[in-house]
Amino acid sequence: MTWFIFAGDMLVMAFMVGLAIWAGNRSNDKEIRETAMIPLQDEEEHG
Amino acid sequence: MNQSNKTYHDKIVIRLIQFSILWAIAAMLTGVYLSAELVWPTLDFGQFWLSFGRLRPLHTNGIIFGFGVSALMATAFYSVQRTSHTPLFLPGLAWFCCYAWQLLVLTGGLSLLAGFNTAKEYAELEWPFDIAITVIWVCFAIVFFGTVANRKIKPIYISNWFYGALIIVIAMLHIVNNLAIPVSLGKSYSLYAGAKDAMVQWWYGHNAVGFLLTGGFLGMLYYFLPKHAERPIWSYRLSIVAFWAFVYSYIWAGPHHLHYSSIPEWVQSLGMVMSVILLAPSWATMVNGIMTVSTAWEKLRKDPALKFIVLSLAFYGLATFEGPMMSLRSVNVVSHFTDWTIGHVHSGALGWNAMITYGTFYFMVPRLAGRELYSSQLAHLHFWLALAGTMLYIMAMWAAGVSQGLLWLSVDQIGELSFSFKEVMASMAPYYLLRLVAGVIFLFGTVLMAYNLFMTLKGQLPVRVTAPPVNPAFAVAS
Repeated sequence: MTWFIFAGDMLVMAFMVGLAIWAGNRSNDKEIRETAMIPLQDEEEHG
Repeated sequence: MNQSNKTYHDKIVIRLIQFSILWAIAAMLTGVYLSAELVWPTLDFGQFWLSFGRLRPLHTNGIIFGFGVSALMATAFYSVQRTSHTPLFLPGLAWFCCYAWQLLVLTGGLSLLAGFNTAKEYAELEWPFDIAITVIWVCFAIVFFGTVANRKIKPIYISNWFYGALIIVIAMLHIVNNLAIPVSLGKSYSLYAGAKDAMVQWWYGHNAVGFLLTGGFLGMLYYFLPKHAERPIWSYRLSIVAFWAFVYSYIWAGPHHLHYSSIPEWVQSLGMVMSVILLAPSWATMVNGIMTVSTAWEKLRKDPALKFIVLSLAFYGLATFEGPMMSLRSVNVVSHFTDWTIGHVHSGALGWNAMITYGTFYFMVPRLAGRELYSSQLAHLHFWLALAGTMLYIMAMWAAGVSQGLLWLSVDQIGELSFSFKEVMASMAPYYLLRLVAGVIFLFGTVLMAYNLFMTLKGQLPVRVTAPPVNPAFAVAS
């Protein structure tokens, strides 16, 4: 049972690592830079 | 360039900040009273409602649901409309969330004082309150995700991923852990029994810490740190990887609360391993945050809000290192059931949650009030009081906890305990007194902040904040 759980855990882990790498790389550098800038250019104050 | 001239809804943010500070003072005052009761046990004056058992859940619920959730709602509403370049979705529903939540915290707190308690830690409120929490939380989700869905800019900024995870996972945890059979208006029995109940409870308990007190507050960090440091997050890609690694790892870590108990050993081992893995995403965020401010030291020296936020990062790093270490069975054998755990919780609650919240409040309130902070000197004084109070608190509890653990493990030549429970507790008196002093210092700092922000809001000027133009390449097609 322990080995079964361990193997299942490692498979889920491999999926999540893959998902994280995919999510981290699906945008190009320009899009990433633009997204990171959102909080710095998200409001205009009017007095 | 696309431009939306709709004004952001910020009045609700101010109101939530006010409620959050009110609950912070009330719940911290309760905490100070509790710590005084541990020094002078007769302080309950024989009254049930003043007893440790009644006041303790009032303190934790007040901090988590009153102070914490109100602050999370305030910062989520503030940041989601800005990062989405659109005002809040269904602002009327947002106002309902605001007031209904405060009513829930107030009445729920009174019910705890009256002795209605499910005996599940951090889920003490009885079933009518659980249903009310679910309804308000769903409304919160509608407002938040509705705003994200209405966004005028294509990317969903990282802070919104963390706030989104907070809303979804807390809903799941709350509903599953609180499934119960009501037998009267004020009493219910959990659907789970024995070891299963313990596992579900700590799946809830640990992830309430994980997704509310960590994930939600990371949402705050990822928005307010770059905003205030006036530079983008050091590595946006790292923040995405940290998010997915965080949501995946945290959900498994609960069983480390049940080491050496009747739950299966492999479950304990799994909880321990996943807790150690959690170090990676936690420290990835800490490094990302520290590197973001690494070129803003001059601003850090002068700005109390940024000081609070950066100090909170240091405590975040400390608490997320200490947690995995305490989850190791060999360390847990000393730390479990001792005040070391209380020290660990407060290095997170005071050092991380409260400090980052104070930093965001000092950042938001002057902007929302359209004027400078009433007193920068008072804010600096608050910073040093908060740091002193937190350090004194956690060092006292570390010393107390390690002493307790080692004294309880000490046996004589024939294998009997060397020290009785009473002897061990008697030796705690100096540490408990130090903890009381630390609590008073921290509370005093919070009261100073309340005064400072109240005076700032008193001279409030009309401010209208709108969304700026969006680069057409990143605009959502309307």
